[in-house]
Amino acid sequence: MSRAVLVVGEAQGGHLARSSREAVGLARKLSEGGSVTGALLGSELGGAPEEFARSGVDRVLLLPLAGAPPVRAVPSAGPLAELARATDISLILLGGSAFARELTGALAVAWEAPAASGVVDATAAPDHLEVRRPIFGGRASQLLRLPGPRGILLLRPNAFSAPEPTATPAPIETRPVHELPPALLVGERTGVSPVEGGSGPELTSAAIVVSGGRGLKAPENFRLVEELAQSLGAAVGASRAVTDAGWKPNSYQVGQTGKTVSPQLYIAVGISGAIQHLVGMMSARVIVAVNNDPSAPIFRVADYGIAGDLFQILPPLSAEIRRVRGL
Amino acid sequence: MEILVFVKPVPEAESRLRPRADGKGLDPEGVKWVLTGYDESAVEQALLMKEALAGSHVRSVSFGPAPRGEEVLRASLALGCDSATWVEQPPGIEPDSTDLVRTLALVSRRYPADLILLGKQAGDHEGGLAASALAAALGRPGFSFVVNLRFEAARQRFTFQRVAEEGVESWEVPGPIVVGLQQAWNDPRTAKLQNILKSRRMPIEKVPASEVVAAVGDHPRSTVEQFLLPPPRTGAKMVEFSTPEEAAQKLVRLLREEAKVFP
Repeated sequence: MSRAVLVVGEAQGGHLARSSREAVGLARKLSEGGSVTGALLGSELGGAPEEFARSGVDRVLLLPLAGAPPVRAVPSAGPLAELARATDISLILLGGSAFARELTGALAVAWEAPAASGVVDATAAPDHLEVRRPIFGGRASQLLRLPGPRGILLLRPNAFSAPEPTATPAPIETRPVHELPPALLVGERTGVSPVEGGSGPELTSAAIVVSGGRGLKAPENFRLVEELAQSLGAAVGASRAVTDAGWKPNSYQVGQTGKTVSPQLYIAVGISGAIQHLVGMMSARVIVAVNNDPSAPIFRVADYGIAGDLFQILPPLSAEIRRVRGL
Repeated sequence: MEILVFVKPVPEAESRLRPRADGKGLDPEGVKWVLTGYDESAVEQALLMKEALAGSHVRSVSFGPAPRGEEVLRASLALGCDSATWVEQPPGIEPDSTDLVRTLALVSRRYPADLILLGKQAGDHEGGLAASALAAALGRPGFSFVVNLRFEAARQRFTFQRVAEEGVESWEVPGPIVVGLQQAWNDPRTAKLQNILKSRRMPIEKVPASEVVAAVGDHPRSTVEQFLLPPPRTGAKMVEFSTPEEAAQKLVRLLREEAKVFP
């Protein structure tokens, strides 16, 4: 049964977010021959509309919002729900991001539809959707059945592959400016500071993450982790021991009280593997651990391990990766 | 300031996870239900705001089956919350995200608050949708991924930062607002023994299941079809090596050729 699918895209740094392209990949599958519409909110979009038009969607709708920028998630849910109603959409997909998570909750209320977040797999039946999502920090997962006819899925970053860009772009249409409810728009954003140490990709959506722990012994040694991350084009994370000690800001923390990451590859360096840390990274596809203690719990959850001195292992490891990547 | 903080009983982090007999959920046998992670931070944040602003009142609210709903409320009272409300989960209903937001809205309307605090996600199902859904249901500003939340009494504004992909945003918003908290200013406090004892005698208000049933209404529910455990981890494949260079080369070869994680 074909169905009309809406992908709510997101512009990050003037480009279409990778998570949005991943959502288009799933949208094509779940539409079963139906239409896939891309929607972008606001007006500061850079090259995102053109990239969206070549991402595999059938058309791109731009929804300018009165009062924006910045585009705020909760107030945007109304215009999107209205668009979905007007265009007979039965499924809305969003790529995993902080903004998309806020939007998903509000959209579930505005569009009166069941929603699921952190989705890593999805199939559609005529009257319902079935999705799989990790729970308990990746220690378990659930198969959730959403009743039809409508559903909203927020995808886990890196769980779906993005289609190759298409040769011919889909048409782009700008919709009339939406007024937003003033009660939801009170207050203002007074500034934005780039994520500290943020030359690499953002932690929660990165495809590769390298994290350092107490085993690094001193803050200045953290550069070994950063060099390894740089060789891989990876984001840098840290265990709670490192952020508590003030070696790195809290924004680096991966774990129960920090960020949850789900990359293709997670490299834990000098991290023993306390449960507090594991629940933040267990749903990574491949886990590598480097630790000098062969009995460290991290080796029980890792796929590959090197029991050795990280100070000796990391420099040749970074060099070898640079060599194979031709850097 | 009136502060409402929602807490969810979740299994202790070290709990053994097993599917129950019908395979559709966690077997609660032997599980200790606690206040964890982001909810602990939310309670801590509520108490910090109360301490900074004389005359404030913090009410903690939990939604769940007995007795776990009450246990986490006792824990929040022991930490310093002033009052507590247990919302009884209707027997025979496994609440879905729609039930949850309608229930939170019911309680939020009953106890008008300047600040409604939730952890940015629960430690068990990690949905992370409740704060913004509640804001939309109440027609109020709502933000998640919030850190450094404070209240400027002179200007009657909440100030906070929101941790997003492109950076850390600073915001100033007048109340009432709904906040999904990422982190409090400091580590959650632990309860003093005398307060734990005192909390056992404090009253807990109850919203009975009948009121919840009326508020959530009859609607098609999302249902968990299967609770799945990953295949047991067999432990890492350890790289054998005699020199660090050899370890590096072998690992890179495994990652490229076997795991296929980078070109």
